[in-house]
Amino acid sequence: MGVSQRMKRMLLALGTLLLLLSPPGPSLAAAPYEGYIYSYWTEATPSPEAYLPARLISGRTLGIGDWNNPQDLYVTRDGHIYVLDSGNSRIVVLDSGWNVVRQITGFTKGGAEERFNLPEGLFVTEQGHLYVADTENRRLVELDEHGRFVREIGAPESEVLKDGFQYFPRKVAVDRAGRIFVVARGVYEGIIELDPDGEFMGFMGTNRVTVDPWEYMWKRLATRAQREQLVRFIPTEFNNLDLDPDGFLYATNQEKNTPRPIQKLNPSGNDVLRREGYGPPRGDLQFAYRGEFSGSSLLIDVDVNDYGVYSVLDSNRGRIFTYNEDGSLLYVFGKIGKQFGTFKSPVALDRVGENIAVLDRDMGQITLFQPTRFGELVNEANRLYSIGQHDASAEVWKEVLKYDANYEMAYVGVGKALLREGKNKEALGYLKLGYDRKYYSKAFERYRKEVLREHFGAIMTGLVALAVGWAVLLAVWKYRKRRLKANAA
Amino acid sequence: MRLELWTYPFYVLFHPFKGFWDLKYERMGKLRIAFAILALLTVTFILERQYAGFLVNDNDPRHLNSINELKYLVVPFFLWCVSNWCLTTLMDGEGKFREIVMVTGYSLLPLIVIHLPNILFSNVIILRESAFYYFLNSLAFLWFVWLLFIGTMTVHQFTVAKTLVTMGLTLVVAGIIVFLGLLAFSLVNQIASFVMTIYHELSLRM
Repeated sequence: MGVSQRMKRMLLALGTLLLLLSPPGPSLAAAPYEGYIYSYWTEATPSPEAYLPARLISGRTLGIGDWNNPQDLYVTRDGHIYVLDSGNSRIVVLDSGWNVVRQITGFTKGGAEERFNLPEGLFVTEQGHLYVADTENRRLVELDEHGRFVREIGAPESEVLKDGFQYFPRKVAVDRAGRIFVVARGVYEGIIELDPDGEFMGFMGTNRVTVDPWEYMWKRLATRAQREQLVRFIPTEFNNLDLDPDGFLYATNQEKNTPRPIQKLNPSGNDVLRREGYGPPRGDLQFAYRGEFSGSSLLIDVDVNDYGVYSVLDSNRGRIFTYNEDGSLLYVFGKIGKQFGTFKSPVALDRVGENIAVLDRDMGQITLFQPTRFGELVNEANRLYSIGQHDASAEVWKEVLKYDANYEMAYVGVGKALLREGKNKEALGYLKLGYDRKYYSKAFERYRKEVLREHFGAIMTGLVALAVGWAVLLAVWKYRKRRLKANAA
Repeated sequence: MRLELWTYPFYVLFHPFKGFWDLKYERMGKLRIAFAILALLTVTFILERQYAGFLVNDNDPRHLNSINELKYLVVPFFLWCVSNWCLTTLMDGEGKFREIVMVTGYSLLPLIVIHLPNILFSNVIILRESAFYYFLNSLAFLWFVWLLFIGTMTVHQFTVAKTLVTMGLTLVVAGIIVFLGLLAFSLVNQIASFVMTIYHELSLRM
């Protein structure tokens, strides 16, 4: 007994020593940020990283001189990347292999050379025409695929616009019909919509003013002088926009604590964004209220892909939030920091295929993020779901669950597929794990019917037996009561 | 104890006027039965939070705590009884404290009678039918208020209007009691910390 005890102790000591001396195992290439997602209870829950930084691209690595305050980024369908190097008033065009194709530093207009003046936005149409929001020159410039001047669109003219209207176009998008959408600085009425000829058509998607009844009461009580001191009710201005393949406009605004920082505008300007996720699509749902990196997410760019998955960029904490077409949060990555894969002041993002490029204004560089296996699976599941291949999508969701068993949305995906297959009982379990009460109810309704049909005989027998038993009991009770009464009398 | 006394609360359910009258004047009520009902109701609510069907149960299972039931049920129960007693003593109510406790306890019975089977029911319904579930629960609450109203009226021998006023004021008094309680607590706290400070001061200087 004593010996074996000593042996044990020695072995333990030896084991500890070995453990201490052994070199640390190969560590995984860790991301400089933590992957997380918001659960059904809208709590931040750890989740595998969906995207990892793959490479850095800057003016220096391309050998064309540092970028100076680059403001926007556009990736065309064939993989060409347009970078708006505002400080140097040039546009850098890269091919899909990140090689410089050409630089556009200016254009010839009516025989005279012209340059851009601190442009902030650009857009490339499917024909390859380039629209530049030449902000400080207060105009839009259209160039053709070779960089030749096509036309210039100045300030819109209309009676709707107030006198002394200062036009500073910041972001621009052009739909397939040629309609031009402009986000301008200091315009609270919404997105400026121009017809293909550049004539003013109206405003789209006005951000409604929300009035707090309490605040309203105070304003009514306040004197004129006091009212001047108070913050005015001003609708927020949009700060960025993107077009999806169906012509819906995705727009972001930067108002703090707004419930709808992302809007999906249909052609008549109504917000049709689906908000069916566990929490509203507004970036972070939990955040510190004071201190560094406090306050709600401030979304400054949005990018939507072909299957309705959209990403927004939070300039406050440097995070990229990706949602699917239902508004469910898929994954979060990115951070403000000084490491590879973090940003100083991110301003724009766009997809290069499944990769995501984020432009950092102050660092003058693009960080390219590549999906991990987990990220690929999540994207694939959503893609399959959006084209109606629900069963294939469910298979991918099952794969996702192997990486993250807390990924609630995946359970819903699997559950819905099982329900469609008629496996109601199995579906119930999955739908419960995904907290989808609507579909749980559907599955339960079918399951209940199934059980009732199967055990109809037994249930009916039980009911009849109960009824008979009850009747007998009552009869006995009455009989005894009568006898007691008779005895008493 | 006679079996009759245990089945009596069920008689009160459907015959509140005569029921509460006999409870007061024929000594049909028992304090221990009132407490048994309260205990059973606590258990019912705990069960409901835990086992109500998924479709009507939005409790975060990680945050369920049975102590909460004491906080939200047992404490208000006694608060109601005490404040009602305080008030009715001043307002010429004829009820004794034990009668008030009995009436309040007996009035809680509908909540058990309806909520308990409703837990089972909630496990076999779908979303569309959940309206029935909520309806039954509201019904239970209304029944409880109805019994409490009749009970208060009977044991204190009040008129309808006076009963209504009393019940409203009871809530106010309960609020005042809570306020005074908190005030006393914070004062005692301050005194305790004051004494502690003096003790530290002395112990450091000596």
